[in-house]
Amino acid sequence: MSASDMNSPRPGRAVFGYLLSSAACVAVTNIYALFGHGVRSASMDYMFLYPALMGLVPFLLLTALLPRIRRRRFLRLAFNLYNSGVATLIVGAMLNGILEIAGTASAYQPLFMAAGWTFAFIGFILLLIPDSGDRTDKKAKNP
Amino acid sequence: MNRVRSFFGKPYRWAAMYGVILTLAFAFVLLDAFVIPKAQVRVESPSMTVQPVTSEHGDSAGYNAPDTTINHAEKEEDKKPDTGESLPAAPVVTDTSYKDDNITISIETARKNGTTFYVADILLSDVSYLKTALAKNVYGRNIKQTTSAMAEEHQAIFAINGDYYGFRDTGYVLRNGVSYRDNGNDDALVIDGDGSFSVVREGSASMESLVDDGAWQVFSFGPALVLDGEIVVDSGSEVSKSKNSNPRTAIGQAGELHYIIIVSDGRTKESQGLSLLELAEEFAGRGCSIAYNLDGGGSSTMVFNGRIINNPTDGRRAGEREVSDIVCFGYE
Repeated sequence: MSASDMNSPRPGRAVFGYLLSSAACVAVTNIYALFGHGVRSASMDYMFLYPALMGLVPFLLLTALLPRIRRRRFLRLAFNLYNSGVATLIVGAMLNGILEIAGTASAYQPLFMAAGWTFAFIGFILLLIPDSGDRTDKKAKNP
Repeated sequence: MNRVRSFFGKPYRWAAMYGVILTLAFAFVLLDAFVIPKAQVRVESPSMTVQPVTSEHGDSAGYNAPDTTINHAEKEEDKKPDTGESLPAAPVVTDTSYKDDNITISIETARKNGTTFYVADILLSDVSYLKTALAKNVYGRNIKQTTSAMAEEHQAIFAINGDYYGFRDTGYVLRNGVSYRDNGNDDALVIDGDGSFSVVREGSASMESLVDDGAWQVFSFGPALVLDGEIVVDSGSEVSKSKNSNPRTAIGQAGELHYIIIVSDGRTKESQGLSLLELAEEFAGRGCSIAYNLDGGGSSTMVFNGRIINNPTDGRRAGEREVSDIVCFGYE
């Protein structure tokens, strides 16, 4: 029995969550801009693209191309890693923005980007691995 | 393994744990960038020798203590300005002026384009009266003190904020002949041992070569406002992506040992602040052949005889901001 059999995440709910995250990013960017004395940062301005693109596009594609996504072997782990990656990228972009607007930098900034992309990449790869015991997938392969 | 899978298989457990980790990491980076002091080198004023900051165990407590720190003050005694300062006869001091045998300072308050700014005209008999100081006499990141506190500590007659080097990890830092940082890629202001100003591009001129050529102070902020008597900024010039009008601090040279310093108010209803072009026009109009923009915004502070002349504010609350360093004039 794979972990995906229990408490499997729902792609539809994830897409909705990413939409909300995108909206939250836009809100945070604009609220922060109120206190920035007119200084803006591209990192923060485009922060919303991480959940918008990395959230919506892959999940919409997966939903369309792999309708049996709920029968992936590492579905829960894949979702967790992918979501964590996107969250890390958002936080990294926010940090970049805050530091850029303040006129400084930190040696730790690249770590957020590296960790974010790594998590997202591993999560996405895991999402593609089918459940070996998934009869539906086997049927699909040998009709 | 199954327990771990089962634990993280429950909804939101992973999200909650990772959320906590991410929040802590976020907070740590912000604290590291803005708050946590990292002392690297202590300055033994006024002899200008330096030593690494050490812990109780005798280890270097400095985070990333620079191996490149060079005590040019000791290394090149011949280039050090003559520090044989003599205390003058009783100076004549008013609210806006100071005059003795060696130092003449007059401060004018002016208004232009809805902004109040303060112009200090300073004439020295010897370059040794032009000094710089680091907050708490320590070089490092997030080592801060108000301009007025540093001025008082160093018995400065007049002081302004410097380039706030401690807020960044790049940009040349040479103070009183001691090199603290030699990486960067911006325009830097060089003050020679004879008090002459020049602007160089970091990277294209190494710190070593600058010191060999007689540099005594190097500031890294910018941009240059006036070079060879010509304004070198335009209406689109700005510090990073900053707003057009801000509180400003800038320093220029009008002649041998003759300096003009301008600090403007800004970010208030009474004073919106000066653009870099407006600032440059003021320096050029006052006969400066060279002028350079220092740290501004909430850092901008002018102190004269222990009194803050301008109205420092970061736009949210009035009051002095703590900074890393000052430029000062006096006898210490």
